[in-house]
Amino acid sequence: MNRRTFWGFTIPSVVVMLALMVFPLVTTVWLGFQKLLLRDLNNPEWVGFDNYSDVLTDPEFWAAFRFTMVFVAIVVPVTMVMGLGVALLLDRVGRGRSLYMAALLLPFIVTPVVGSLVYKDLFERGGLLSWLWEVITDDPFAVNAGNVKWLIIIQSIWYIMPFAMITFFAGLQTLPQERVEAAAIDGANFLRNLWHVILPHLKVLILFVGLISIMDAYRVYDQVFVWTGTRFTDAHTLSVYNVRVATAFDIGRLGKGNAIAVLNVIGIFMVLIPFLWRSYKDQIAERT
Amino acid sequence: MRRSSTLSRIGLHATMLVLVVWSILPFIWTFQTSIKFTRDVAAKEPVLWGYETTANAYRAFWLDEDDINMWSVLVYILVVAVVCLILGQIGRRVRHSWPWFTAAVGVIFVALWRFPKVWEVNDEYDFLINSIVVTVLTMLISLSIGLLAGYGLARYTGISGAVILIVALGFRALPRTAFVLPYFFGAKEIDDWLNSSGVGSWDFPLIDFPGIDTLQILDTRLAIVLALVAVNQPFTIWMFRSFFMEVPKEIEEAAMMDGATRLQAFRRVIIPMMWPAIIATGLFTMLLAYNEYLFVRVLAPTEWTLPVAIVSLTGGESSRTITEAAAASVSITLPIVVVIILFQKHLVKGLGAGAVKG
Repeated sequence: MNRRTFWGFTIPSVVVMLALMVFPLVTTVWLGFQKLLLRDLNNPEWVGFDNYSDVLTDPEFWAAFRFTMVFVAIVVPVTMVMGLGVALLLDRVGRGRSLYMAALLLPFIVTPVVGSLVYKDLFERGGLLSWLWEVITDDPFAVNAGNVKWLIIIQSIWYIMPFAMITFFAGLQTLPQERVEAAAIDGANFLRNLWHVILPHLKVLILFVGLISIMDAYRVYDQVFVWTGTRFTDAHTLSVYNVRVATAFDIGRLGKGNAIAVLNVIGIFMVLIPFLWRSYKDQIAERT
Repeated sequence: MRRSSTLSRIGLHATMLVLVVWSILPFIWTFQTSIKFTRDVAAKEPVLWGYETTANAYRAFWLDEDDINMWSVLVYILVVAVVCLILGQIGRRVRHSWPWFTAAVGVIFVALWRFPKVWEVNDEYDFLINSIVVTVLTMLISLSIGLLAGYGLARYTGISGAVILIVALGFRALPRTAFVLPYFFGAKEIDDWLNSSGVGSWDFPLIDFPGIDTLQILDTRLAIVLALVAVNQPFTIWMFRSFFMEVPKEIEEAAMMDGATRLQAFRRVIIPMMWPAIIATGLFTMLLAYNEYLFVRVLAPTEWTLPVAIVSLTGGESSRTITEAAAASVSITLPIVVVIILFQKHLVKGLGAGAVKG
């Protein structure tokens, strides 16, 4: 395909991405240097790095940062290990597999805010699990500032695990049967099989799922918003904190909000750049 | 294959059942809540069975008429579903499936017309129609430009292709907040200009939409669609590219030898082979648009879609009851359950496709 035809095919998509991704990102950086209030959008005022020093000295920012890191550090590994385990089980199921799969996929496919709402209902007053807690421990259960972080983490594992499961399951389907049988003839037990045959085969997928999970966990918004609302601001993650600062009714500070957004972008890129660089090298290698 | 003993098979299924319960317990609980009377919901000890059922919550959320019999509504929905299933099954089996699929979609639309709150454009209850419009438009735009770009990126070997792909991959990783705030600001600026220059209140002879008297961006479905198309592009082009890479170049080269132009070869030869890819990518685009919360809340404060409507209508200060919130949650989830059941293979394939090549 020559260059002209290529651009003919690609130009609509590239224009959309330039106009609605590259340009807004530049705007974000520019707005981050402005003093700009939500109720007075017409008078931006250049303030240099004031927004950034404002953010970096804001204890709420650091609280959000800490919880986001804890969230990523717990949710990503747990969902990946669980996902791999369930995928291995699913791979052994003969009859009824698609039924199990449909049920297990539901939390991941359902609207995230609705998934969070229905999960939260289990723990609210009169909910099934809060009642169960009360029966077992004899203490009344209520969602409070102390346990809401854990509830968010548990619900997020419930929500994200199917993604790892289904991706690993797809990977297991491409595992050459001979290698599994060869390992079985050699008398390899399950753990040796897992370590020497299955995990090496899934290596690329594990990296892929890990990266996607880190990206998605880092920018988590919907679940945290539903669980905390304006009640438990201690348990806000970076994205929720960011939107709250920028769009709070009447006191929204769009300039500061954009400064936070820029910091968030820098944060995720520190993790991502080695991977992007590697993908770029792969792409170039593919072409020569 | 190693024959597994009965005992280990039972163990396996038992484990799977525990996992299934962990997955769907919240949905079962919410469904129960949605068909209970308020007194059972408020009971201190959960009423797990033997309670009296009612469809009042659904009636309150979806219908204006108070005296309508909910059994007749259920029968109505079932009839529509069966008719659509039959049309779809016929469509899958005959050579020209288009008329059948179109008929099925048409039946759904005509059927929706019966629900008063669907087409009522009185700002408060237009969230279902908004959801449908946003989802359909996002899918159409996103898939058509993504399909073209995916094809170009799969076939072109220049460096600029690699650059576009990597930049798109980077954008896929960015937090939504980095986009939603400038979108909001930009839309506001454009609206101000439309207002002050008077362009917004021009009478355009051809685009005279009912219910729209002034042109604006913020708080319109257009704003949501544009935002969703943009953030969905990276995913779409990567997905389509990986599917196009599986189609051998020789196929379109043969068609072009026979005198077809590249565009003709693309349309007549390649696209018909791409239906599984289009369905898989379309499903994920659909879910993205249908499920979106943040963009809608910030960019369209009054043009709600379903997720925003549910969170806003069932929030703490609203007078809606728990049962109504549950009914709303069940209603928004049902179409997704149907999608999983009908398109499970495509969903799994789609999730695997982007992944297997890494």
